[in-house]
Amino acid sequence: MSGFQAVFRREFRAAFNSPVAYGLIAAFLVFTSAWLYFVTGFYALGLADLSSWFGMMPVVLAFIVPALTMRSWAEEVRLGTGELLLTLPFGELGLVVGKFLASFAIVAIAVLLTLPVPIMASFLGSFDVGVLAGQYLGVLLVAAAATAIGQWVSSRARNQVSAFLGATLLLLVLVLVDRVGSFLGSAGLLSEFLNWLSLARHFGAFGRGVLDSRDLAYYLAATFFFLYLTAWTIGRRKWS
Amino acid sequence: MIEAKELRKSYNRVEAVKGVSFSVERGQVLGLLGPNGAGKTTIMKILTGYHFPTEGSALIDGVDVTVDPVAIKRKIGYLPESAPLYPDQSPAEYLDFMADVRGLEGSARSSAIDRAVSACSLGPVFHKPVEELSKGYRQRLGLAQAILHDPDILILDEPTTGLDPNQILEIRGLIRELGKEKTVILSTHILQEVEAVCSKVLILNEGRIAAQGTADEIGEALKGEARVSFRVRGRKGEIGRKALETALGRLSSAAALRSLEEAQGGAFDVDLALKASGSSDGDVFDWAVTEGLVLLELLPHKLSLEEIFVKLTTDPGVGATEGGRK
Repeated sequence: MSGFQAVFRREFRAAFNSPVAYGLIAAFLVFTSAWLYFVTGFYALGLADLSSWFGMMPVVLAFIVPALTMRSWAEEVRLGTGELLLTLPFGELGLVVGKFLASFAIVAIAVLLTLPVPIMASFLGSFDVGVLAGQYLGVLLVAAAATAIGQWVSSRARNQVSAFLGATLLLLVLVLVDRVGSFLGSAGLLSEFLNWLSLARHFGAFGRGVLDSRDLAYYLAATFFFLYLTAWTIGRRKWS
Repeated sequence: MIEAKELRKSYNRVEAVKGVSFSVERGQVLGLLGPNGAGKTTIMKILTGYHFPTEGSALIDGVDVTVDPVAIKRKIGYLPESAPLYPDQSPAEYLDFMADVRGLEGSARSSAIDRAVSACSLGPVFHKPVEELSKGYRQRLGLAQAILHDPDILILDEPTTGLDPNQILEIRGLIRELGKEKTVILSTHILQEVEAVCSKVLILNEGRIAAQGTADEIGEALKGEARVSFRVRGRKGEIGRKALETALGRLSSAAALRSLEEAQGGAFDVDLALKASGSSDGDVFDWAVTEGLVLLELLPHKLSLEEIFVKLTTDPGVGATEGGRK
């Protein structure tokens, strides 16, 4: 069994052997459902459109994902088990990918458990399945990038609390940074850059059911970049 | 086989290891001995590829640890200091994870787990979560993990900490057994452990080697401090203090008289430092015969490893000059 498989299995099992995974999945579902009823007023609106509901998911993920990834490296350092992991016959990237996939799988489960919402809503009116698939793909891509970022923050943090706070702050900034862009006015290189940086802005097209390769590339690049950065951060400690 | 060449390691400009060289062959157990902060753990971290050396190189079977760390880590079983474990796992789950990691499958997997569990006597706690285990069980679980894949090389950082005396004897027996066909390096503060288990000793002090060799070789090299104490009386009647002192002056291998006290029945207790080279306890017998004296008791003081250790790690001059360097 390769390194990332072994690490993935351990992490995934550990999360479900403790209340962590259940608690976070429940929190995600309660929050998103409450949002659907109380904030978007979906049932009062009478429109078969969930785009504003999907639109707030990046914000929810900015809180849920760090709660899941805060342990990943900060806790290994505290317990000393990081020394054990890093003296196993794997490269750092294998360990990082194993941990990433375990966290991502839990977030993906939480996201996919919201499926009953569109399914129930489909009885109320006709839904565009293509749009819905695009919206879910978009949420999962945001979740992947957020998980990679959360893990990187955890690899730099001394403890879980600072890992959580740091990752939440960073993710909220990345989600909301395009609002600053629109503040600055529509023109200008800076506002374009801020828009480009925003995790939420790239999600917009998915929300409308448009699959733009630039958005896809943005999320994949962000995910891979932070996975490599995490592996590099951990590997560099050997020399310090 | 393990070879360290002029290893140096600095953490934030503090040099923890200052040029250490040694080698260990298969079938040897090397003990790293030294006070806290001597560099034992750092050396082990370098050999296991957890930290890279600042200078020098560490070779495992001829391969540099910084060149192909993954290949080297496959050959090594490592017990880090304080045996880090995941508190939420039971020994069963933990060893299962390690068996995954080591790529053990099928019958090899279950027999490896059985062997490690029985060698480390983990049976009674196999399904208890680690957070409920005593220090001794945690330590033994760490050791079980290290020997699980039957590695050629074992690196054990203080393997017997937290164990009770019976467990210590058990684990030492296990290490001795493993040491017959593997290359083992262990670190310890406990001097008896080195005498009981190790075929070779490396005494470290402040990041440098103060002495290396077998326990006897190191003792031999420091024999300058050899002492002997004996009780002596005259063959015919009493001997005066003055006369005895003059007689002692004729004992060629005596270096210094440390004490001379009158004992019962006109005998004297003598405590004598012997000269470093060419002197032996036998000289005292010969001397007593020629002087017409009777030896009632003779006690040679061989330097114990404990005394050597204290000497090497507290006296700055000793290690550098005569500390049994090969």
